[in-house]
Amino acid sequence: MYLVADINVEICAAKSCKLCTQYCPEANTIQYSEDMGKEKGFKYGSAYVAVDRCKGCAQCVWVCDNMAKNNAIKMIMIDQLPLAAVTDNIRYEEKSTVVALSNPMIVIGN
Amino acid sequence: MSLDYVKFSGGFEKFMPKEYRDMVEHGPFGKKISVSQMGSFKEILEEHPMCAGCAMTLFIRLAIIAFPNPEDTITVGTAGCGRLAISQAAIPFVYGNYGDQNGVASGLSRGLRLRFGDKPKDVVVIAGDGGTADIGFQQVLHSWFRKERFTTIMLDNEVYGNTGGQESGMTNRGAVLKMAPLGKKFEKMDMLQMAKVAGCAYVATVVPNNPRRVESVIKKAVLIAREVGSTYIQAYTSCNIEYAIPTDKVMEDAKTVENDRYQFTEYVSEEAKQYLTERYGYKDYLPKPAAPAAAIPNKA
Repeated sequence: MYLVADINVEICAAKSCKLCTQYCPEANTIQYSEDMGKEKGFKYGSAYVAVDRCKGCAQCVWVCDNMAKNNAIKMIMIDQLPLAAVTDNIRYEEKSTVVALSNPMIVIGN
Repeated sequence: MSLDYVKFSGGFEKFMPKEYRDMVEHGPFGKKISVSQMGSFKEILEEHPMCAGCAMTLFIRLAIIAFPNPEDTITVGTAGCGRLAISQAAIPFVYGNYGDQNGVASGLSRGLRLRFGDKPKDVVVIAGDGGTADIGFQQVLHSWFRKERFTTIMLDNEVYGNTGGQESGMTNRGAVLKMAPLGKKFEKMDMLQMAKVAGCAYVATVVPNNPRRVESVIKKAVLIAREVGSTYIQAYTSCNIEYAIPTDKVMEDAKTVENDRYQFTEYVSEEAKQYLTERYGYKDYLPKPAAPAAAIPNKA
């Protein structure tokens, strides 16, 4: 098992600074969705991690803790994630993306 | 080399991989994209084999987003870590022999001008500190003296990271590395001063912990290189393997180094300032408005 970044939607959707999307060294790994926070009643959307692309460097954790001071990102073992976003389930819309979350263990089995 | 190559061949849409379909439908080609929209569009850079947490990758990712016309851009690279990521992007990449990237780019940029005339086709050299300051040094400097119109970007990780940690011309004095155990005995090369002496129209240093600044610097350099002359960007992109920086501290290190010895500097020649202002509407270089004439006698 290995570590991947996991973003707390509730904290992220309250702030929506989008810094982690700009500081991740991997392309299209930390994505942004307008719907993710709004469906839970928050003002903004939230960032989320495409776990199949995450290399687990934790740079986003440092950026979120020290630059944005939101402490919304934690590193979690991939089999401990309840639900995860994978690249195949991400759809691009005009201003953000839409993601269908799935069980990460099933995805690895594929 | 145009928007024509970023579309499907008739009838093949449904057979293309998802990444390709996303690129055609939601990629940045033909649109104006900025770093603030990152995470909401398909990027030109794809998955790549570079180390986790590499600051060089972050810089390359930001640089490719910052290209003013990605559909009309060719990147030229050489051996080194950077090419592993640059070659995974959906824009043409030319891989020169070690050190001849600026020679290749000179011919390429001249050829494109002959073929396409005034239509801007950008050539951007992205090479490491070894390729630019050591092995390719002669061709780099000659291309600047010849005022070749393309951008040279140095990914300065201050070490030969790909081959086990030998010292390069850009390594700092005293730095102890795996293959330089006694520490480097000479000073770091001052490539910025050399670029100015050689007549580059735009010279800048940048650290990737400020994405907006990286974007603005790359945009200016590519635009100036279209007509005015050579442009040079030196980017500090730490090697977290050879300098043993924990991956989650890479941005902290970038911040420390920026404050210590890699402050943002920018040199823009007078001709380039005029070009940016007149052609692309940059307001930063307009002459400062003179103080109101009445204010001075009142104070006296």
